[in-house]
Amino acid sequence: MTYAYLFKYIIIGDTGVGKSCLLLQFTDKRFQPVHDLTIGVEFGARMVNIDGKQIKLQIWDTAGQESFRSITRSYYRGAAGALLVYDITRRETFNHLTSWLEDARQHSSSNMVIMLIGNKSDLESRRDVKREEGEAFAREHGLIFMETSAKTACNVEEAFINTAKEIYRKIQQGLFDVHNEANGIKIGPQQCISTSVGPSASQRNSRDVGSNSGCC
Amino acid sequence: MLTRVKSAVANFMGGIMAGGSGSEHGGGGSDLPLRFPYGRPEFLGLSQDEVECSADHIARPILILKETRRLPWATGYAEVINAGKSTHNEDQASCEVLTVKKKAGAIISTPNRNSAKRRSSLPNGEGLQLKENSDSEGVSCHYWSLFDGHAGSGAAVVASRLLQRHLAEQLQDIVEILRNSAAPPPTCLGEEPEGAPAPRTLTRAASLRGGVGAPGSPGTPPARFFTEKKVPHESLVVGALESAFKEMDLQIERERSSYNISGGCTALVVVCLLGKLYVANAGDSRAIIIRNGEIIPMSSEFTPETERQRLQYLAFMQPHLLGNEFTHLEFPRRVQRKELGKKMLYRDFNMTGWAYKIIEDDDLKFPLIYGEGKKARVMATIGVTRGLGDHDLKVHDSNIYIKPFLSSAPEVRVYDLSTYEHGADDVLILATDGLWDVLSNEEVAEALTQFLPNCDPDDPHRYTLAAQDLVMRARGVLKDRGWRISNDRLGSGDDISVYVIPLIHGNKLS
Repeated sequence: MTYAYLFKYIIIGDTGVGKSCLLLQFTDKRFQPVHDLTIGVEFGARMVNIDGKQIKLQIWDTAGQESFRSITRSYYRGAAGALLVYDITRRETFNHLTSWLEDARQHSSSNMVIMLIGNKSDLESRRDVKREEGEAFAREHGLIFMETSAKTACNVEEAFINTAKEIYRKIQQGLFDVHNEANGIKIGPQQCISTSVGPSASQRNSRDVGSNSGCC
Repeated sequence: MLTRVKSAVANFMGGIMAGGSGSEHGGGGSDLPLRFPYGRPEFLGLSQDEVECSADHIARPILILKETRRLPWATGYAEVINAGKSTHNEDQASCEVLTVKKKAGAIISTPNRNSAKRRSSLPNGEGLQLKENSDSEGVSCHYWSLFDGHAGSGAAVVASRLLQRHLAEQLQDIVEILRNSAAPPPTCLGEEPEGAPAPRTLTRAASLRGGVGAPGSPGTPPARFFTEKKVPHESLVVGALESAFKEMDLQIERERSSYNISGGCTALVVVCLLGKLYVANAGDSRAIIIRNGEIIPMSSEFTPETERQRLQYLAFMQPHLLGNEFTHLEFPRRVQRKELGKKMLYRDFNMTGWAYKIIEDDDLKFPLIYGEGKKARVMATIGVTRGLGDHDLKVHDSNIYIKPFLSSAPEVRVYDLSTYEHGADDVLILATDGLWDVLSNEEVAEALTQFLPNCDPDDPHRYTLAAQDLVMRARGVLKDRGWRISNDRLGSGDDISVYVIPLIHGNKLS
């Protein structure tokens, strides 16, 4: 299937926060309650439509365990977007965000779009990190923020798609050099390489992006 | 490996090769269909999307066996793509358990009329050969293979799919003989095996009479008055491997008229059969056993340097293969025209040392073997001298074929698993040159002896994690000046593939 752009994403965060479940929900629309630990890296892909353009998302799901950190560091290279995930029921996964963020910033292209995700929003009764704390962290570090549930699928589409929209917006603004694959963006086969895009984008965006609160 | 072919040609010609992956489609003609689509090893179970993701030359993800997948013996595996020298990862691998059964209808011993009655009384199992369906559970044969392609991925992909079939076919013919370890392999099929006790008395009687078998007993072997070489069973397995490599190479040669089978590949195959490991190597991949911290090399590399004398001898015997462009003699450096008539150090096919000869016109030609170490090339073209495929490979811009100098014959080494009680950290490592170019046997052994004792011995993934660790050590981390490994040495920019095979599983067999 042909696409206008390909964006590479990487999903990072502590072990057990639901990175693989988010990916599976997004690519396969299903939830797997018992999931093997990811060792190393796994991949997923899906086509999405942003502003009438077909965009292929290529998603790298990395192992969260500390022992894999040195291996997964090279995977930031050539990523256009990162989903930084914590578990709202486990504060320590929130506390570790700073170290993940440092890693990401140090090893990625400066334009990489980072989406902060508080996952497991379906477990409200066991909540350990307030939504406002996530929002504040995101504001402080210039990240987009959403709470999601890989189990109920709440906001999962939005998390991946809003990240894509932000990358797309940066392309339109000329912030990404789409010809440099190290930025995590590839132009689809047989695509005309014009980065100027009409103004129609903003209107559609306002409808989709604005739904942050959604079901969570 | 592609660059090893290409850069040398470019050097030699002093010219520029057509850019990028010009040789990706080999000489087979890219209009023809592929024999098999490109992919990663089947046991990794990757989807098309995953294959696409994995081919990232910038981030170079290390691929490992998924948690849900298992290889025989809990074998570990990890691989990484090159840093951009070719679009595809040109390494390939396959691993499976083959069940070798006697070929239906192939009867290796002449049926005896009274065989049915004798069957049970024959301890050596000779009677098993008599009925096609008797005892047909077969012998299981563990098979691991590793291929390193160059100038295209076609040959490596084909070999990873088909070499095991050629091997199975070869083994089918001898499986009953191998099983019957009490009797030596018959020298000539169709005669009664010598070890069979019942006919032995007849044989002896017959030989005393100096005649052939008694009339009416066609199974009685003829008497022999000449000495006969005793061929051990394991030599038949070695022979089966050697034949399988040859048949594979011939198949690639035949099929390149109907399929696009690009390039060539090295081949490293390990077979475990009836308690012994057979390591067959054609090329520059390497196998070592690490046993209680000790290194046991299980293969040697076949390169222009290690095979210099074979290549020089072939060129000496068949000078037309050099197309009047090359000299089979070796000199320490290129000979210059102004040196004609002087004496210079040289060596010929019969020499390991050096001597002086008077420089003649012929010596000004480009040497058959030129370059040192990893840069050594045959006719300025290829840096590996054994393997499969390459039937269309020619010296750049000429009609000189390289193939006659390449051999598909593997060197086979045998390791008897029963000679040692292996522990959980005793392993056989197989890896392509991407690993060995940057890590020595000692470094690999040290890495493993550090890594394995620190993993849970019951973790089924420990050998895959060990393989991943080795790939990581050879790939290194991406710094400003490229991939770097320990001590700031340059990491390997080649495709790297590693098996870690625990030998503890071999204990049960013997």
